[in-house]
Amino acid sequence: MQKTRIKRFSILDRGFHLFLILTFLTQTATGFSRLFFSTGWGKSLNSVLGGYQTTTLIHKWVGVLMIWGFIFHTLYLLTRIDWKNPWASLFGPDSIVPNFKDVKHLWQRILWFFGLGSPPRIGRWAYWEKFDYWAVYWGMPLLAITGLALMYPIFTSRYVPGWTLNIAVLLHRAEAILAVSYIFIVHFFVGHLRPSSFPMNEAMFSGSIPMEELKEEKPAWHDQLKNEGKLETSKVRAPSFLYKIIYFIFGYAALGFGVYLLINGIIYSRYITLH
Amino acid sequence: MITIYRTIAWIISFALLSMLLLPASSLGQGEEVTSYISRYGQNEVSTGYYEKYEVRPGNQSPLVRKFRSIDREPFAYSSTAALIRIRSRLADSHRGIKFYNNRRCEECHINETHDIHTVRENITCRQCHGPEPIASIDHYYSPLNPIRRHAYVCAKCHEGASASFASYVVHEPAAGAISTRSSFPAMYYSYWFMLALLAGTLAFFIPHSLLMGLRELFGKKKDK
Repeated sequence: MQKTRIKRFSILDRGFHLFLILTFLTQTATGFSRLFFSTGWGKSLNSVLGGYQTTTLIHKWVGVLMIWGFIFHTLYLLTRIDWKNPWASLFGPDSIVPNFKDVKHLWQRILWFFGLGSPPRIGRWAYWEKFDYWAVYWGMPLLAITGLALMYPIFTSRYVPGWTLNIAVLLHRAEAILAVSYIFIVHFFVGHLRPSSFPMNEAMFSGSIPMEELKEEKPAWHDQLKNEGKLETSKVRAPSFLYKIIYFIFGYAALGFGVYLLINGIIYSRYITLH
Repeated sequence: MITIYRTIAWIISFALLSMLLLPASSLGQGEEVTSYISRYGQNEVSTGYYEKYEVRPGNQSPLVRKFRSIDREPFAYSSTAALIRIRSRLADSHRGIKFYNNRRCEECHINETHDIHTVRENITCRQCHGPEPIASIDHYYSPLNPIRRHAYVCAKCHEGASASFASYVVHEPAAGAISTRSSFPAMYYSYWFMLALLAGTLAFFIPHSLLMGLRELFGKKKDK
C-alpha cells in the first residue's frame, strides 16, 4: 500500500469512462435483445428487460443520453486544447491525437513480439489506447446519426429518401457489432487478461498507476514527467481498501455481463442479419 | 412641400410596420383542415413541383431494376403464359400459376419472409399486399403502386408516411450478394465496407493482444 503512485486519470476522465460502461452495456443488452429477437435467447433477454417495446424504449432513451455524453465530452476536449499553441498541444506528447511516433511504436512492438528488438518507449498514450479512444469517438456519431434517423423515420424521410433507412439499419447494426466485439474481446483482454494487467488494470477506477508500472509501461512519459519536474507533484495517495473492493466488484460485474453477452452473441451469430 | 413628403413617408413606414404585427393575409383564406394535416408538399422530398403533380413522387427507389431470368417452373409453356411472364403490371399477379389455390406465399417467396416487418412485427403478406387477387405492385390500380403506396399501405401503421418514406425497401436484397451490387449498390458497398472494417480490426487487434500477452508471459524476465 505504501507504493508510490502517479496520477493518470482525472475524476472527470473516470466519470466519462464509468458513464460509457453503464450506457454501453445497457445499449448492448437492449440492442442484442432486438438483434437476436428471432432466437430463444433473444426472446428471454427481451422478457428479462421488459418486453420488445420496453427494450426499444430503453435503447432510445439511453441512446439520447449517450449523445449528450458525447456532446459534453467534445466540449471537454475543446477545453483541453491549449488555444494559444494548438498545434503543439494537438501533436505534443500529452495529446491523444495519433502521430507518426505511433506507427514507429507499432513497428517496434511487432519486432519485439518476435524477439527482434527492444520494446518501444511508449509515452503517455500507447497507440492501442489511442485506437481504443478514437474508435469509440467516431463510432458514437455514426450510431447516433443512424439511430436518430431510425428513431424518427417519418421526419428523416422528409429530408433524405426513405431507402436511406435501409442503409441506416445496416450501418447501425454493423457498427454496433464492431464496437461490441472490439470492446468485449480486445479491450477486455488488454484491461484484464493481459499478464501485466491481470486480474484488472485499475488505472481507470483508481485514477493512478504504481511507479513501477509507469517506468515499465510508459518509460517515455516517466522521462517527460521527470524532465518537466512534475514527477513529485503527480504523486497521489493509493485508493482506499473499501473503494478498491467496490471497483473490483463493479469491474468484474461489468466484465462478466459483457462476456455473457459476447458468448451468447457468438453462439447465435448465425441468426444475425445485417439488414 | 418637404413636410408633405415627410408625412407620406411616415404613413408608409407606419403602414409597413403595422403589417408586421397583423396576421398574414393568406391565413384568412386557409383551408378547412386541422393544423396537423399539412399539405403533402410540406412532407416530401421531391422536385418541388407540388401543385401540379401533387401525387406523383420522384423516382426515389434505390433499386436498379433489370429483366431477370425468373424461375419458370410453375409457369406453363404456352403462348398465353409467355405473355404474363413479366408479372409486374398485372391485375392478378398470380394469374396462370398451376395449383395456385393450394399454395402458400412462402413456398415461392421464401426470401420475402425474412425482413424486419415479417420477423419483428409479425406483419403478414396480406396486410400489405391485400386479398386475392393480389395485384402486381406496378399495376395502375394496385394499392402498392408507388404513386399511392405511402398513403394506402405504409400509413396504415406509419402515420404521416410520405412517398419518400415509402421508398424504404421492405424486402431487401441480400446485402452482400453480387446481384445486389447492380440492384442496390448503396447497400452492397456499405455492407462490404463495414464487414471489411470489422474483419480488419479484429484480424489485427486479436493477434496483437494475444502476442502481447504471450510475450509478457514468457519473455518478461529476459527483457529486464
